[in-house]
Amino acid sequence: MIKAILLVEDSPADARLLREMLNEQSSYNAELTHVDCMSAAEKYLAERSVDIILLDPGLPDAQGLGAIRRAHAAAPRVPLVVLTGLDDESLAEQALQEGAQDYLIKGQIETRGILRALRYATERKRLEWLKDEFVSTVSHELRTPLTSIAGSLGLLMGNAAGDLPAPMARLLAIAHTNSQRLVRLVNDILDIEKMEAGRVVFNFKRVEVRSLVEQAIEANRGFAEGYGVRIRLEDVLTAVADVRADPDRLLQVVTNLLSNAIKFSPRDNEVVVAIGKGIDIVRVTVRDHGPGIPLDFKPLIFEKFAQADARDARQKGGSGLGLSIAKQIADRLSGEVGFTDAVGGGTIFHVELPCWHHVAGLAIDRDAKPDAPRLLLCEDDLDTALTLREQLKQIGFATDFAYTIHDALICAVATRYRAILVDLQLPDGDGISLIVRLRELPQYRDTSIIVVSADPSRGRDDLRSSKLNVLDWLNKPVDLGRLMRMLAKPGVRDANRRPRILHVDEDQVVARALSEIADVVTVNSIEDARRALKAGDFDLAVLDVTLDKAASPDLLPELRDSSGNAIPVVIFSAERANTAENAHEQAALAKSHSSIDSLVATVRDRLASRSASLSGETV
Amino acid sequence: MTAIRVLHVDDEADVRVVVEVSLGLDPEFRTRACASGADALVMAADWSPSLILLDVMMPLMDGPATLVNLRHDPRTAHIPVLFLTARTQTHQIEHFISLGAQGVLSKPFDAMTLAALVRSHLSISAGEHAF
Repeated sequence: MIKAILLVEDSPADARLLREMLNEQSSYNAELTHVDCMSAAEKYLAERSVDIILLDPGLPDAQGLGAIRRAHAAAPRVPLVVLTGLDDESLAEQALQEGAQDYLIKGQIETRGILRALRYATERKRLEWLKDEFVSTVSHELRTPLTSIAGSLGLLMGNAAGDLPAPMARLLAIAHTNSQRLVRLVNDILDIEKMEAGRVVFNFKRVEVRSLVEQAIEANRGFAEGYGVRIRLEDVLTAVADVRADPDRLLQVVTNLLSNAIKFSPRDNEVVVAIGKGIDIVRVTVRDHGPGIPLDFKPLIFEKFAQADARDARQKGGSGLGLSIAKQIADRLSGEVGFTDAVGGGTIFHVELPCWHHVAGLAIDRDAKPDAPRLLLCEDDLDTALTLREQLKQIGFATDFAYTIHDALICAVATRYRAILVDLQLPDGDGISLIVRLRELPQYRDTSIIVVSADPSRGRDDLRSSKLNVLDWLNKPVDLGRLMRMLAKPGVRDANRRPRILHVDEDQVVARALSEIADVVTVNSIEDARRALKAGDFDLAVLDVTLDKAASPDLLPELRDSSGNAIPVVIFSAERANTAENAHEQAALAKSHSSIDSLVATVRDRLASRSASLSGETV
Repeated sequence: MTAIRVLHVDDEADVRVVVEVSLGLDPEFRTRACASGADALVMAADWSPSLILLDVMMPLMDGPATLVNLRHDPRTAHIPVLFLTARTQTHQIEHFISLGAQGVLSKPFDAMTLAALVRSHLSISAGEHAF
């Protein structure tokens, strides 16, 4: 029974429509609370409980998957239905993967459809929760008796209770081996469940592949002996093969490939491991001399509980999860696993990972415009870093990466960054110690430093109380809107930067003339103007009120920067509109009477007086 | 040669036996066991073990709560604690370490090498105290 709905929607019209549709249904008497941004939703969810959340992921303070993740994090047990635009099918699909239960397409919603979506989403969420709890509880409950069984058998097999007569030893060996198998099965199920629930944290560092592979081989030697199989590391001299990975997780991938190869090898055969290096990847291959993979099974091999032959699971002693886990981990490591048929029979499995030097080569942003203000992002997750670089590029910043404290200090000395973003969890230490060391460098004493953290509580008080002068704090996933507003603060962009003008007009000649003195964003509808205002700050707006006579007056009071200051407006229209009483308006020129030159002169004049007044305000 | 005294706390009687036999493979180990966090607080204060092996999921007072209480008592505050748990998720391990645990061992464990594992954690903690 749904009693309380939280609607997170920034468009008042859409919110009204939805409320009316729900009210239409007399059988339905849920209470609907409407908030228009993510921070309000988070605040509400911290204090009150709701039965379901309806979320428009295009909010002023959170967009797309970031919005969905934040809603999910704020209320992990509450079902979530996403409201998407017509053109947003891919977002809808990703939303479902990120934990949303359903989506509704705006403009195609009708009352019964909403009600059904809400009910189904609630039921789906309940079942997902039950499944997760069940898997995690069962695995735990299985581990407790297994601890006693496997432990006792291990002690007996290790002769801890004295020597065993041969027939008894044989039977105990069977029991021991199978208890180990059950342990692996439970571990695999837990692993896959954690991975699918997104609860696995990856700690990336530089990993030397050869020693890691040797470690995996050593760990599997006993297992191989049980199958009468030898493991050989092909001794090809390779250059240093370092990758960027989480060593424990990579070890798990190699181990899973090895144990798979061992299980499918005939007795008295060998499994051959090799390490190869491409230009920007390192590849580990594991070759077996087994029966090979049947053609019709090839597409299914990385599926959960996949076994070519149902009897295989029992014969080979596997869980049917090992390869699926290997694939999921490799994906998260920005790598891949795959296989090919080996010449002469058998199969070659491989795992490929980005090589350290390739990742290190991405560290410097070479695509950005040469004069773009440059930021340093200290973040050890490559995917997060690349996404953020792409987003920052849209608003004119170049972003260099540092994956460790060590790298960050080298970069900071080599380049003078406009601002530095620091993740608190870095592979070689705590982000706070990095900030301390940056502040010791004279050129970074006053530079903006923004902390980016996956854990909202951690270290926050330390930073507040300290004199580290941290500009602000962002939780992961990063809310781009907030980050943009932080970067818009004085001193982050170049003090001598070109001014930005929002030009609401269809006239290209005017746009070209204005671009001589400023960066111009030209939009030809009031809606686009609103969007542009959300995306960045402007120093001045030039507005043709005849473009949309009805909506233009509404836009005037909205012409503010992110700090809420009014942006000066110059009206440049074919006819004089009735906006004279508006306070923001600084000048009105009629197109018929004024030349473009006089417009440019007026704009230049207004920009100069604004910049003078702003620098006067700066403390 | 001084004995290594280990206090093992676990509500499962069978696990207590397995741990006792496992640690007994190393002649230097002396093991005592109890079944609850409350008993552990009393025994730890009386016996001053070299190390405490602590189960996480126990009724009434669970492992983390027991650890917090051990840290509050000056007689037991310095004793290194290793958790022995059937649930080892990374964020939980971090949480346990932040509470002041020496380390986390997972269940099921390899009974033949448990003593060596405990020893390695003891030498780490001895190294820390040396500073």
